[in-house]
Amino acid sequence: MASNKKYWKSVEELKENSSIVEKLKQTEFVEEIPTDQFLGDKETLESSSTSRRDFLKYVGFSTAVASLAACEGPVINSIPYLVKPDEVTPGVADYYATTMADGYDFANVLVKVREGRPIKIEPNKDSEKGNANARVQASILGLYDDNRLRGPKAKGEDTDWKTMDAEIVGKLNELKANGEKIVFLTGTCASPSTMGLVGKFTEQFGNVDHVVYDAISEDAALNAFKKMYGTRSLPDYDFGKAEVIVSVAADFLGDWQGGGFEAGYSKGRRPKNGKMSRHIQFESNMTLTGGNADKRVVVKPSQQALVMIKLYQAVVKGIATREASPINNAVQKAAAQIKKAGKKAVVVTGVQDENAQLLALAINNAIQSDVIDVVTTKNVRHGDDAKVVQLIKDMKAGNVGAVIMHNTNPVYTLPNASEFTEALKKVKLSVTFAMTPNETANASQYVVAIPHYLESWGDVMIKKGQYSLVQPTISQLFDTRQFQCTLLKWIGSNESYYDYLKGQWQANILGGKSWNKTLHDGTFTVAIPESEVTINEVDMNAVNSAVSKIKGSDLELTVYTKIGLGDGQQANNPWLQELPDPITRTSWDNYLLVSRIDAEKLGLKNWTVDNGALNGDLVNVTANGITLNNVAVYIQPGQTPGSVAIALGYGRGAGMNDEMMIGANAYPLINSNSYFQSVSIEKVAGEHKFACVQLQHTIMGREGEITKEVTLADFVSKPKDDWNAAPVFSLDHQEVTQDKVDLWEKFDDSLGTKFNLSIDLAACTGCAACIIACHVENNVPVVGKQEIRVSRDMHWLRIDRYYSSDMTVEKGKEEGIFGTGEFFNAQTHPSDNPEVSFQPVMCQHCNHAPCETVCPVAATSHGRQGQNQMAYNRCVGTRYCANNCPYRVRRFNWFKYFDNTEFDYNMNNDLGRMVLNPDVVVRSRGVMEKCSMCIQMTQATILKAKKEGRAVADGEFQTACSNACPTGAMVFGDVNDDSSKVAHLEKDDRSFKLLDFVGTKPNVFYQLKVNNTNES
Amino acid sequence: MNIVIERIPLKRLISSLSLLFIFSFNILAQQGDPVNGKKLYNADCAACHKLDKRLVGPPLKGISEKRSNEWLHAWIKDNNALRASGDKDAIAIFEEYSKIPMLAYPKLSEQDINDILAYTDDKPLKTETDIASSQTVDPKVAIGKKLYQANCAACHKLDKKLIGPPLGNIAEKREMDWLKLWIKDNNALRASGDKDAVAIFKEYNGMPMTAYPQLSDEDIEAIIAYTSVGDVQKVAAVTGVETDTMAKPNSSSNWMSYVVIGVILLLVVWIYLQSNNAFLKIIATIFVLLLSAYITFDWLMGIGIDQDYQPIQPIAFSHKIHAGDNKIDCEYCHSSAKNSKTSGIPSVNVCMNCHKSISEYTGTTTLSEKDKAFYDAEIHKIYDAIGWDPDKLEYIENYEQKPIKWVRVHNLPDFVYYNHSQHVTVAGLECQECHGPVEEMDDLYQYSPLTMRWCLDCHKETDVDLKGNEYYAKIHEELAKKFGVEKVTVAQLGGTECGKCHY
Repeated sequence: MASNKKYWKSVEELKENSSIVEKLKQTEFVEEIPTDQFLGDKETLESSSTSRRDFLKYVGFSTAVASLAACEGPVINSIPYLVKPDEVTPGVADYYATTMADGYDFANVLVKVREGRPIKIEPNKDSEKGNANARVQASILGLYDDNRLRGPKAKGEDTDWKTMDAEIVGKLNELKANGEKIVFLTGTCASPSTMGLVGKFTEQFGNVDHVVYDAISEDAALNAFKKMYGTRSLPDYDFGKAEVIVSVAADFLGDWQGGGFEAGYSKGRRPKNGKMSRHIQFESNMTLTGGNADKRVVVKPSQQALVMIKLYQAVVKGIATREASPINNAVQKAAAQIKKAGKKAVVVTGVQDENAQLLALAINNAIQSDVIDVVTTKNVRHGDDAKVVQLIKDMKAGNVGAVIMHNTNPVYTLPNASEFTEALKKVKLSVTFAMTPNETANASQYVVAIPHYLESWGDVMIKKGQYSLVQPTISQLFDTRQFQCTLLKWIGSNESYYDYLKGQWQANILGGKSWNKTLHDGTFTVAIPESEVTINEVDMNAVNSAVSKIKGSDLELTVYTKIGLGDGQQANNPWLQELPDPITRTSWDNYLLVSRIDAEKLGLKNWTVDNGALNGDLVNVTANGITLNNVAVYIQPGQTPGSVAIALGYGRGAGMNDEMMIGANAYPLINSNSYFQSVSIEKVAGEHKFACVQLQHTIMGREGEITKEVTLADFVSKPKDDWNAAPVFSLDHQEVTQDKVDLWEKFDDSLGTKFNLSIDLAACTGCAACIIACHVENNVPVVGKQEIRVSRDMHWLRIDRYYSSDMTVEKGKEEGIFGTGEFFNAQTHPSDNPEVSFQPVMCQHCNHAPCETVCPVAATSHGRQGQNQMAYNRCVGTRYCANNCPYRVRRFNWFKYFDNTEFDYNMNNDLGRMVLNPDVVVRSRGVMEKCSMCIQMTQATILKAKKEGRAVADGEFQTACSNACPTGAMVFGDVNDDSSKVAHLEKDDRSFKLLDFVGTKPNVFYQLKVNNTNES
Repeated sequence: MNIVIERIPLKRLISSLSLLFIFSFNILAQQGDPVNGKKLYNADCAACHKLDKRLVGPPLKGISEKRSNEWLHAWIKDNNALRASGDKDAIAIFEEYSKIPMLAYPKLSEQDINDILAYTDDKPLKTETDIASSQTVDPKVAIGKKLYQANCAACHKLDKKLIGPPLGNIAEKREMDWLKLWIKDNNALRASGDKDAVAIFKEYNGMPMTAYPQLSDEDIEAIIAYTSVGDVQKVAAVTGVETDTMAKPNSSSNWMSYVVIGVILLLVVWIYLQSNNAFLKIIATIFVLLLSAYITFDWLMGIGIDQDYQPIQPIAFSHKIHAGDNKIDCEYCHSSAKNSKTSGIPSVNVCMNCHKSISEYTGTTTLSEKDKAFYDAEIHKIYDAIGWDPDKLEYIENYEQKPIKWVRVHNLPDFVYYNHSQHVTVAGLECQECHGPVEEMDDLYQYSPLTMRWCLDCHKETDVDLKGNEYYAKIHEELAKKFGVEKVTVAQLGGTECGKCHY
């Protein structure tokens, strides 16, 4: 055993003799087939006029009719192109490099296009920001959103471009003549050419202002950086260079400052030469980053600023605060480690307070941190809260003539949205550029229908000097016109935006380099001239005193974003809605996170019902003078007592399917004056039904042995058998290794290709990009909230999240909490601040697969290349295989999920179905499905090599998940090729197989997680 | 659109019925079943024989008129033995066909051979009697025609303006000497100030004609001679009504089987009604039960198999004319077959590569209902789709194009993944191996059953060419080293695994 930790997925498991947990361990399918429902009870049966004989007649007749009907196949038409574009070969995918920049997510991506229709988004690995998180990958569905605007609208009525242009330009000229103010209100716009166009517009119309507004603002960080370094942008961080990372409430593996730090972070998390980074996280609610930390310290939001002061004092001033509290203890230890690591340390903070941000910058400056990059700064957030506040004031006062909104949805995201809506009515001209009839579009006079970014031209400067191009991958589906084209029209130019863009690039950026090559690459980097970084004097004493004035309250509320929905722009995306949150493992919802202690105080409960689904109490949440009614309560292990949190992005109300209008809109709870709110909560009657998957697929009741961890110290100093022992079996009273005892005959698979997948648990951050990639690649259906509740989720790949705790007396003494209430709690309530580990689990492709032997029709069988194959057309749906699978990875199609109004997601309309992968069949009702190790991709790679008459190179074989993994935790390849990366990994000391003592010999293996518990 | 689909479970039912009787009673043994015969012929004979032409072996149409039935049976079963026995005809044929012995077919039963012969007799393929060929064609004209087609036809037609002016009876309009000068170097002629030459140049938008200094005076005279005579119109002499030929054997065998069924059923009814013999009744009952079981089973097994499916297409595109008569390579039109999973139905711009200049059918027709006018109308359907003006020879601007809705002939279920490029590019299969003699099909039909057994049978038998492809280098080396194996079939490399085609 790696450690004496106890792992659990849900607090329910911590209860002794929980019958529910016992049941879930024993049964794969918790729901009995409701035979009574369709057969009825005895009475109804007897009163029925249909006798057994009649029933048989019906069956016989319908069988005969069905088989007769099957005789005549349908006539299938094939309609070729009239003029086929040269670059299209039907059946062969083209890839185009483009860039997603929706104001919240910025990523260089490759778009897979089949027969002219984009079907998948992949990271553009040749570029710097080539990582595609879950939202970026899922954004393709926005293109095929049935709710999209089909054309421009004026005052709610359809109009045409000519009329609309004439009316708007007329009004703009009128405003210009009167000298009235025209305001652009946009999300973060990192596009140089668009900024150029706004400039041209300003030249034309005079009194024009551009207000940038981010729904999820980094205003504090931007202002702090400006104060210190002179420019209003965000520094970049390369956590790969860090030996010590101290984060105070910065969820940098989530969306903090635009995210995208996981690749660098995970580089430092793999032990190399006995070294790895040490990550200390101070935070109030359990974030993805906190879950990955070596040490997580629970700190109330109001205390987080104080932590920053203490760190500053200790690191920069050398004054250690003396105070006997676990937090201070942890801060002082962290400070000592920062000082020791010097340049190789970094402090980051997510506290949305300018002074706290200044403290972090000052510490990093004092230690001359290598991790922070203040030269090539990032442009992913530019929102200026003060200007937005001023704008609303001006609008209310009637000082604004026109508001033109693009890439923003203030009516939904502003805390004072109703005030904004009222103010908007006083504006003479309000225009919204939108893809769907969203909240803001409905409140504006004119709605300009814009295309999806996959239908648009554009450019983005994500980072200083790093330019990216946006190019269309499909011609516009609807009668839409992009923002930039419209601006050109309005300023009276006849130039197309493409010509303008190309001209701008050739004149200002490319410096003579090829436009076509840049378009092909998607990115272009301009060297930034070396220059001295000038640092402005900041009065740190004033900062300190300002921070120390922050007053806490009994119950403090923070808002956060989930990796699924983010700021809520893509709330109409069923893939993202169904994606379980990596920490709470709950989909289709947001909820108030409450600690166990507060819950007990307020009498709030979560309880698991008989089928393993989670229910919870409801509360009214009042903060900032606003009350959200009937919010579900989720008791979160690791939540700081005295703090609650709620996710943003939910509770949208316009321009989407009814199924997706769920959760509570938490934006009104934000108060721009403070990064946390004093909150009061009040229990109300009723219960909430969560779609929580945490107890589902409970693996044979062997949680204690399923994931493995080791501390860095043990990893370095102890032999492998101490922390990653191979299982032994007793044969004739002798201990033998696994190869000596086997139920199956050995099969020689050393010849040819044999696929293995390696998953490094030390590098996996649980970001869930792989889940979406798998979803898209394999046409996995969305099943909806109700089905998730009854354990019928269809994700081929899940990321199990385990909590663990190993609090002992020694550890208690070591941490200085022995004898305190906290120690008592840690022992009696291991869920109060657990450690977290993530483990992606998909079909393990066992060489000795239990599922294969029990299939009565041989629908699942083993391939020579190691893949466990599933022939859907052969499956009759006995579900024996799922019952016999020790890993609980098989998924059953309980319903027909396409063309079925009960499942009104993308597979239920013609537009949404365009995203389906034509190389993978859509499974019908009643068959089993599971991870195929992307056999369509491996076969395509092999075929390509065969056609080109060459061997397959290492790294060419990919699965959707391994290709999407931003940290490189998943490595896929041919294990029979000795030179391949995966073959090396398999022989690594950290390598282990899931439940290896079962003897299934999986083709998926894991690298165990290493924790750096070194406190000094 | 009137789309008639011939899906034939019923036909199968009847033919299986008739076969059953044929085998049970052998009363029709001498007759032979041309339907089965066709299958056997395609499987065993077609590689070396054609019906109407000499290929490796002699043409087989009407062979039974030339040779006796016994002789043919003996020859087909073992022609070597027949030759060895000193049969004169056998030796003569052997000598005539360059001493290539025919393969022996002992596996064919008497019935099979009768079936094949029924097919070769009953299906008189269009033997076009070229009336013109009996007329004497001036050899000069023949040479002229060849030269004309090689050098002139790309830009000139005899009766219509193409890129250049029509050339029919050009000799009547221009003097031979002028023509010679013009053809050899029209630029020089124009430069010399020749009025006619300049006028023509102007009329045809200043496009100079290619100069042909390589043509001799005789060549030019021959060409002019050809343009004066033109194509001798071939008159189709129809010896048998082609379209009926497929139906005819079927209907005759159907008729036969109906009679047989009728007789048997009458017998059975008679036994039930009249006979007092209980044993006979039991036998009749068993017979009826077995018969119905057999028929039902055979019929059910045929469901979903669309072999011979021959839908009527929106354009009567003839593969015979394109791939057969004009010998256009399959991959010219089906260009994605070598790169992609689908072979691709050519887009209309591919048709237009040739049909810009070929606006009418110039081949011979043998069918009364598919004459020149019919094919010309079909060609015009392409123009209608893409918007081409065949008179002005240009695309019509702002034309609302109409995509052509072809009817898909080969349909695999959605749960099957099939990749053409794997078979065409990697395995190097000929298209005909699965699609049959497409170059002989006027209307395309599904030649192979496309059942899973059909796929697997081929995968089990076919050896993979390990040597020609670097991809297999490692596996080949290991195979040779470990097991001393040099040859592996597709199946042994995993080509029969479910997951290779079903995902």
